[in-house]
Amino acid sequence: MTMFHFFNCAILTFGPHAVYYSATPLSEYDTLGTSVKAALVYLGTALVKLVCLATFLQVSENDGFDPYQEILKAFIGFIDVAGLYFALTQLTHRNISQNHKFQAVGLGWAFADSVLHRLAPLWVGARGLEFTWDYILQGLEANANLVLSISLAALVSLIWLRKNKPKTLIPIIYACAGIVATMPSITSYLRRELEWHFPKVIGFELFTSLVMAFVSWQLFSACQRPSA
Amino acid sequence: MMLSKNSGRGHRGLQESMYSVISLLFILVACVELCDAAAAIDVYRLIQYDMSGSAFGSRFAALNHHAASLHFPPGADLSRTVLIIPLRELNITFVRDYINQKKLLGGLLFLLPEIFNPGNGGNKQVHEREKLKNVLAELERLLIHANLPYPVYFAFENNEIDTVLADIKKNDATGQPATATTGGYKLVIPTPEPKKVASPTITNIQGWLSGLKADGDMNQLPTIAIVASYDTFGAAPALSMGSDSNGSGIVALLEIARLFSLLYSNPKTRGRYNLLFGLTSGGPYNYNGTQKWLRSFDQRLRESIDYAICLNSIGSWYNELWIHVSKPPDNAYIKQIFEGFLNVAEELDIKVGLKHKKINISNPRVAWEHEQFSRLRVTGATLSQIPVAPELLESTGGLFDSRQFVNETAITRGVKLVAESFARHIYGHQGKNVKIFADGGSLAVNPAYVQSWLDLLSRTPRVAPFLSKNDPFVMALKKELADHTDEVNLQHEILEGMFTFYDSTSATLNIYQVASVAFDLVLLLVLGSYLIVLFCFLVITTRGLDDLISLFRRPHSRKVKTA
Repeated sequence: MTMFHFFNCAILTFGPHAVYYSATPLSEYDTLGTSVKAALVYLGTALVKLVCLATFLQVSENDGFDPYQEILKAFIGFIDVAGLYFALTQLTHRNISQNHKFQAVGLGWAFADSVLHRLAPLWVGARGLEFTWDYILQGLEANANLVLSISLAALVSLIWLRKNKPKTLIPIIYACAGIVATMPSITSYLRRELEWHFPKVIGFELFTSLVMAFVSWQLFSACQRPSA
Repeated sequence: MMLSKNSGRGHRGLQESMYSVISLLFILVACVELCDAAAAIDVYRLIQYDMSGSAFGSRFAALNHHAASLHFPPGADLSRTVLIIPLRELNITFVRDYINQKKLLGGLLFLLPEIFNPGNGGNKQVHEREKLKNVLAELERLLIHANLPYPVYFAFENNEIDTVLADIKKNDATGQPATATTGGYKLVIPTPEPKKVASPTITNIQGWLSGLKADGDMNQLPTIAIVASYDTFGAAPALSMGSDSNGSGIVALLEIARLFSLLYSNPKTRGRYNLLFGLTSGGPYNYNGTQKWLRSFDQRLRESIDYAICLNSIGSWYNELWIHVSKPPDNAYIKQIFEGFLNVAEELDIKVGLKHKKINISNPRVAWEHEQFSRLRVTGATLSQIPVAPELLESTGGLFDSRQFVNETAITRGVKLVAESFARHIYGHQGKNVKIFADGGSLAVNPAYVQSWLDLLSRTPRVAPFLSKNDPFVMALKKELADHTDEVNLQHEILEGMFTFYDSTSATLNIYQVASVAFDLVLLLVLGSYLIVLFCFLVITTRGLDDLISLFRRPHSRKVKTA
């Protein structure tokens, strides 16, 4: 029953994106075009990141954690933020409220990330006879990634799209955006240096994604109050 | 207008090429099949052969079933499971009952200890070795003469399969047999159905050392023949190395050839006898090869053979050897040969006994190689450590006959015995205490030569139907004999008669750890409920609870509207 397992892992990995799209008002306002454009921007961002990594990073012999390399990778991770900024501000969107814009962009971003990083291993691996927990954990990671992407899109839209923000909240917004943008570095640090097992790392990711989502939701609603 | 049409066609062309690229990608992706097994080990199949029309051995090769250990719950249906039995835990009566009652199994996998691995070795305590050897010998005897309608394989114990087996035992202890719905381990061997080996060849190698002919002597010089059969037969053809039966005989023959080639290279020490060395094939099958080899001889040559000594298993004796003859012991020739051996044996502190077994011409069974000589009226005897004539397919170098149980000193003493006896007969030193092949001299038996050839033979499976005409091992034997003799000939024959063999002797076993269907069904339920909960949560938080309820009320309200 290996196609069955592949089907299960696929709906775990890609199902929430479809559910998110249909459950929230995004489907009513027909924001599919925005999501598709955001996915394409992600593709471009991923290529730029690859080129930067190839140019600036050295391949180390041992699999250990090199702080300088990781800091460099974190800086390259900020290209993500730049990409999101581009998708939110520079692309022409139809008349969608800011509320829905960041959600659509975050959704498209997360969907592209899941497809690029997880579809190929899923297709090749989950169809085999051998059973491992890896693909289910990968699906959970995709879920956490969805939440993180939407929070990051919210924070980026707060930084660059909303003009009047309460002064006290601005550093918090930047700090949260920094944390969310450097999540990949944090997880790789956990996996390599502290040698956490994969399930533990996934649990940590899910937990932090929920926390960051809650924080960014609070920030977003707090910033919304003056203009509303 | 024209411009837009052209651009439209260009667009369509681009779209079509895009579609073809995408469809090609889909086809490629669908073909990807990676091997991702938990373990992949080499396994060797039980021999499959027909003897006079009756089928023996394992009749199938492909395997695709769940695995179970010996601790399976009693009464479980094993017709679609593979039993993994380590040799140490083997209960031979259990296997015998299973086979005799013709119970159906998915397959059998025997795990052999590392000491029987030809590439490996390992020294264990003596008592454990002997016990394992006897158990394996008995198991082989049982399997060779049984007809098993399921695949039977042998593998060597290693870390991977040990952990898998421990896991299987744990699962079995909980009382659940492994099937498609309860998970467990699946053993897969994807090989095609075994086919008959068409025209199996047996190759006899003969080497000829000419004696010194006196000038003006027109008569044929007398000949002494020394023969050993080099092929084996065992439960697993890929593992039948036969270190003692008959690796020891081959090594002794090669060493004797080397010593006499040294003697005969100098015309002053060349004897007045020709020496004929024969490495025959087809030994386990009533010495079929020897018979064909002798039949191919010229009548004059056959008559010129004074006597022939056949070597059979002289590798693990301590102080007693047997000379088996088919002519009665009071025959003059037999007396002469036996006394010659006895004299040398006394000096070397070896006990030699004479055993007489009459030949029954009407019985096709040929227990010793010298019987083929006797049937063609050539005096022959077999030197062996085996006291009693073996049955058909017994003592033919099976799995249990591995390197550990062979003693090089036994072979060297045997070589000394035969070489000195020959030398005394050739040079006429009967009764005199002259040691030609004394230790420390230039004609001493070389233990390193013996050891290196013995090691090589213990790593080479030599079942005749699976040795091709130009097999590298046969070529190696021919080259070695050519180094020590004047003239070497190969004789290729077809192994005919009552034996038919089937191929597919080794394969790779893939062990997969599989999850049951029940697990995936539960997972589907869990995921379905998770997605539904997620959906409801998102609708409530973004649109409000009323919207969620209205989702279910919509058809009802529409009906009201239209009405």
